[in-house]
Amino acid sequence: MTDNATGQDQDVLNSLKARILSDVLPDVPFDGWTRTVMMKSADRLGIDRGEVQLAFPCGPVDLVSYFLADGDRRMTEALGEVDLDALKIREKVTLAVRTRLEVDTEHREAVRRAGTYLAMPTSGTRAPQVIYHTVDAIWRAIGDTSTDYNFYTKRATLSIVYGSTLTIWLGDDSDDLAETWAFLDRRIAGVMQFEKVKAQVTKIAGKLPDPLGLLARLRYRTSRS
Amino acid sequence: MSIDNIKTASPQSQTAVGRIKEMIRVDQAGEYAAVQIYSAQLAVFKHAPGKARISADLAHMAEDEQRHLKRFNELAAERKVRPTAFNPIWHAASYALGAATALMGEKAAHACTEAVEDVIEDHYKHQIDELERLGDAEKELKDTIVQFRDEEIAHKEHALANGAKEAPGYPVLANIIRAGCKFAIRVAEKV
Repeated sequence: MTDNATGQDQDVLNSLKARILSDVLPDVPFDGWTRTVMMKSADRLGIDRGEVQLAFPCGPVDLVSYFLADGDRRMTEALGEVDLDALKIREKVTLAVRTRLEVDTEHREAVRRAGTYLAMPTSGTRAPQVIYHTVDAIWRAIGDTSTDYNFYTKRATLSIVYGSTLTIWLGDDSDDLAETWAFLDRRIAGVMQFEKVKAQVTKIAGKLPDPLGLLARLRYRTSRS
Repeated sequence: MSIDNIKTASPQSQTAVGRIKEMIRVDQAGEYAAVQIYSAQLAVFKHAPGKARISADLAHMAEDEQRHLKRFNELAAERKVRPTAFNPIWHAASYALGAATALMGEKAAHACTEAVEDVIEDHYKHQIDELERLGDAEKELKDTIVQFRDEEIAHKEHALANGAKEAPGYPVLANIIRAGCKFAIRVAEKV
């Protein structure tokens, strides 16, 4: 997304971020997302602590956001290998949410810690921002190109589905996470029911007479020009 | 790997990316509103006797705007631009503007076109100047906007030739519409 002049700088920064993230991930389930963990990682990797500061200027909150955004990226990558055109919209959404959770199967504890961290008031407005990032990535990954109010309703609906499924996923100890996937299917079914009603209302509204045509006939009735 | 070669230019380039997203957001909203104005005017005139000529002209202009909108929709998807959140408001306001001016009369409809396209021409000119300063990086976007601006100018000239300025209360009407458009542009860039 950047022009060529600064693209290289972004690459350097990104690979620095990726190195720090993969180095801290084993520690996070025990120690949480903390500055200490980040600094320890810097020492292990033999990079200057200032460089960590440069990669994540706001400290752990930036690292957490990066971790979640990285998961969004891995989801988009994984979905790129699927033939999405063959699927119905509800199947696409279900698959995308499932993929988003599955890319972090090994990092479930880190995701839980991320949730705890972002729930603290010191994280400011970062929690809604990262959720937006995820649902935005999901809709874009499955090829949504809406540019009207649907853009927002789609993201709002999905953030509720994704958020609740995420909570179930974090506490799910059933085999193969069967409970989570059943829960997700029920949420999507609920949304589809609502969409069906909405479509019917739009259809009825479309059959109403055009008020402008009536006004036009009144206004220009006597006009012969 | 070292931080020595990371220039301080990065934040600036981030701002440039953000600014281009703003441009696409406001342009998409503007073309969307233009489509609404023309289709409302068309909805009025197609029912009115003796208005076949203006209906044909409006249909042609609506087609132009539809094409512009389609292009900006594509650009928004390509560059992951969040669309304006006030879309329903722009929809209602622009449709109402089109319907009201069309019901006032043919010349008022032309006055509306003239006022709107005048603001849009100016708005696109600012964007073109801004994109020119970025050099070749955004040449394609700039060329698109230049082409669209020329088509908007054609709409304006067509409206002037058909007596836009002879509409009753033209100065008041045009100024209200201009102010409304400018306000909408400022809002749609950000929200």
